[in-house]
Amino acid sequence: MNQHIQHFWVVFRKDIRIELRTREILLTMGLFALLLVVVFSFAFYTDAERSRIYAPGILWTTVVFSGTIGLNRLFERENENGCLSGVLLTPISPRMVFVAKAMGNLLFTLLMEILTVPLLVMFFSLDIQPVGIFLSGLLLGTVGFCFVGTLFAAMLSAARMKEVLVPLVVYPIIVPIIIGGVKVTAVVLNDYPVEEALNWLKLIAGFDLLFVSLAIWLFEPMIAP
Amino acid sequence: MVHSVKTKSSAAFLLLVVATGAVFLGALVLTFFVAPTERMMGIVQKIFYFHVPSAIVMGVLFLVCAVASLAYLLKNDSRLDAIGATAAELAVVFGAIALITGPLWARKAWGAWWTWEPRLTLTLLSVFIYAGYLAMRAYGGEKEFSRRVAAGLGLMGAPAYYFIKVAVDKWGGNHPKNVVYGKGEGLMNPDMRLAFFAGLIAVLMLTVTLFVMRYRTRMLKERVDTAISEMQKYDLLEDG
Repeated sequence: MNQHIQHFWVVFRKDIRIELRTREILLTMGLFALLLVVVFSFAFYTDAERSRIYAPGILWTTVVFSGTIGLNRLFERENENGCLSGVLLTPISPRMVFVAKAMGNLLFTLLMEILTVPLLVMFFSLDIQPVGIFLSGLLLGTVGFCFVGTLFAAMLSAARMKEVLVPLVVYPIIVPIIIGGVKVTAVVLNDYPVEEALNWLKLIAGFDLLFVSLAIWLFEPMIAP
Repeated sequence: MVHSVKTKSSAAFLLLVVATGAVFLGALVLTFFVAPTERMMGIVQKIFYFHVPSAIVMGVLFLVCAVASLAYLLKNDSRLDAIGATAAELAVVFGAIALITGPLWARKAWGAWWTWEPRLTLTLLSVFIYAGYLAMRAYGGEKEFSRRVAAGLGLMGAPAYYFIKVAVDKWGGNHPKNVVYGKGEGLMNPDMRLAFFAGLIAVLMLTVTLFVMRYRTRMLKERVDTAISEMQKYDLLEDG
């Protein structure tokens, strides 16, 4: 187990270090998210009253779209010069490689959300109550999205049409997350009964549990027979 | 590994084709001449006899694809891959039939072409998943690899189907259930029920026929591809 954690750290730290030096993923993802928020403001903002209705959808569209930008860049390094085979040839188990890549992706996506969500709250003059439920919805939703997304981003990293194919296969699968996330956000913005949000949180958590384990398990048989 | 495939149409398959045609004809006769025309919906109600069987077949094919995908990932046998791909392909076809006939029904029954009714939404999203499966096979890169990736998606499709179902059921709670699900209970007339079961059997037989056909084509293509690559290996092919 100790060795696994060590392996995890090696791959994870490698991604963080590359990101700190190039800032490729965070910059593209962050700028795109910023742009989306601004465009959505022009498209939807009328007054604080009505923005409470639109804001959940806008938040999750921004998260998923910007997250997709990150997914397309996530394996850029590994794709060059066949580095993914190199990483997989190391004595690190492929599953650990996948978990480390997915956690890196999760970290970047969460950082993007830390930038985006306060901006949305400001631009749309939102009042989030209670914050804990909102944040757990956002976190759980992002976890599921990142693990499923990383799996297919890894598989399609060498494909010519990956920019189209990744969202094409990831979005339909994560629909429960999007529906649940939007519902949870709607509850905290509109003072709906909290039980409703808890029900959706349970659904997203169940989705995460199943799909995160499925993604971790599938990585190895999918990448090589 | 190359598996032997029968190249000639067997008598059994020919019989299947003829039987399917006969049953389909019978179902059509029952639908249009025996089953009474519904009072409220008029002739549009007859969509039901093919819409529901298509949707059922689609669901079954999704399951077949998921199981075949899992088996392919574990066993790496090209026959299992062919089963999964054929199932996905037919599931998209029958899903499309359900999605085209659904709005025709909805227009008459609820006055709108599209309602985000849970079952319709579920059908739409699962067709997306398996259309993605087919796109992955077509554009996912190297053949063997894209098959494995598609199989992973095919396997994920089954639990995704379940979660999407739970989510859209909870989400689309604004639609009166007795209207939506009432159509099943609406078949009190025995002639209508007869037409429905005839339609179900006809669509099932059509599915089996198409499945056998497409599966065989796939395996034959596999053999031809293997032969060509073998010949290329020993430089036996002329250029062009």
